[in-house]
Amino acid sequence: MKKTAHPASRAAGAALSLLIGAGLGATAWASGQAPPAKSPPVLQSETAGVTPFAGLSAHQISYSALDGLEGGGVRVIDGDTARLVASVYSSQYANFEWSPDHRTLYVSETYWALGNRGKREDVLSIYGGPTLSNQGEIPLPGRLISDPKTHTFALSADGHYGYVYSFQPAPAVSVIDLPARKVLTSVEIPGCGLVFPFGPRGFASLCADGSLAVADANAQGQYKVRRTKRFFDVMNDPVMDESAADERSGLALFVTYDGWVHPVHLADTPRFGKPWSIEQAAGMSPATSQVGQITWRPGGQVPFAYEPSRHRLFVLMHEGAPWTFEEPGSEIWVLDVRTRALLHRWAVPQSAYLVAVTADAHPLLFALSQQWLWVMNAQSGTVQRATQIVTPGLVRVGGE
Amino acid sequence: MRRSELDNWGERLTRRLAGRLSRRSMLSRLGALLVAAPAFPLLPVQRARAADAPAAGTDFSRNAQTHDDTACNYWRYCGIDGNLCSCCGGGVHSCPPGSQPSPTSWIGSCINPDDQRAYLIAYRDCCGPNECNKCSCLNTDHAMPIYRPQANNHVIWCFGTNSFEYHCSMAVLVGLAQ
Repeated sequence: MKKTAHPASRAAGAALSLLIGAGLGATAWASGQAPPAKSPPVLQSETAGVTPFAGLSAHQISYSALDGLEGGGVRVIDGDTARLVASVYSSQYANFEWSPDHRTLYVSETYWALGNRGKREDVLSIYGGPTLSNQGEIPLPGRLISDPKTHTFALSADGHYGYVYSFQPAPAVSVIDLPARKVLTSVEIPGCGLVFPFGPRGFASLCADGSLAVADANAQGQYKVRRTKRFFDVMNDPVMDESAADERSGLALFVTYDGWVHPVHLADTPRFGKPWSIEQAAGMSPATSQVGQITWRPGGQVPFAYEPSRHRLFVLMHEGAPWTFEEPGSEIWVLDVRTRALLHRWAVPQSAYLVAVTADAHPLLFALSQQWLWVMNAQSGTVQRATQIVTPGLVRVGGE
Repeated sequence: MRRSELDNWGERLTRRLAGRLSRRSMLSRLGALLVAAPAFPLLPVQRARAADAPAAGTDFSRNAQTHDDTACNYWRYCGIDGNLCSCCGGGVHSCPPGSQPSPTSWIGSCINPDDQRAYLIAYRDCCGPNECNKCSCLNTDHAMPIYRPQANNHVIWCFGTNSFEYHCSMAVLVGLAQ
């Protein structure tokens, strides 16, 4: 390698020249010229520390980095400044969720003793305290290793229980007592997947035949699983993994590839609302899976965000053919799920793969492309600020 | 405790087998069955998908081609998600050196534009090295959600290998879907 002056060395040389110059100046002052103005005080020595973290605030967004490309990690960005404010380590293929008070972060993740091999450990890592530091781990019996999926990990509305979806050797949900830091049981859900909590201890899962599995615990903590009727056509128009759900009210909005919204009030006996079409709400014909039908369709990585207080459903929409449910959205459509009406169509500056909305009185809407995060006013759609991000995987916001 | 007729029958069968077969013989037969398992097609899954096989083309097949297996629109890649092994030192049905094919896969069906027939494709992941990150494709023709895993391309299909590190994906032709 050809030896050249390192930039730091050049800087040091320049500083030395300045010092020499300053020395010459001092000599001139000593020789009778006017003294300079009062010099600033000498800077005080410092101690290194960690910036305090008071929990995910109402306008903050946390997102994981896409596996494979970015190597994991959870980052927190303040929507009011679009600045990075905190980061937490995670394995690849991790999922994460905040406690209801947003002070504790749970990361569902997997490690191998020798990096890509050796003894496997599935854990629920806990971060919190005044500096968002590691607070220990809860060993898990297993978890699904997959591309980012929001509903592979969830907490009960009161934050007492955690639910981790596992796939090996069979579909099951591990139920974790978070204050006691122990796994209580694993509930087998044959032919079903994902987890949508409801009530104090219940959860539902979507099933491969178009039905739901509903699991709830009795007073002794024993779970019983029941299957509901089939409510969607899984082969021709399945509901998306990333459908939106509000665990506080138990309302799930299962949205199909073609844009049919199936509102379901999750409970021991779920109540199935009448399905409605996003495209019809916009005055269009419903999308179908017919070859060659180019129309507006929902799509992306996390294409739905629900704001319970105003009953708003935000959907990433693109124009495309059937089976393009992972295409990013060029627009965000805002729908009122009570009146089933389209309220707004907002263009995003660059096609977005993920969308999220805060749940406070002045909500922010976040749209994430593979490189950018846009912060929008959730009531007007105005883009307020933007920042560059690493390729995102999953997203969780303040006020949820 | 009263014994049922089923218990008695089970005991007779077990004793007869124990008398005729050595433990090693039993293990060797079981082992042979396990080794041969990948050679048997995943019948229930394939039959289910065969019934759903598109007959008159799909939006993907309309733009698919049959000569370049390093391009995302190669006909077999109608449901592939990830890095093409063809760009990573392997091929459309072979893993790159240093990686290991998973014995598990998900099954899709793609239409060959040359003969307009639907073929069953096993999307198999190669596992072990870090992600290849070349020729990244995301095709979702008839791909199912993760709660229907036998037709889902988001599961990391590295079950049964020495490592769960995803490297790349192959599209192995299984046979006609029709």
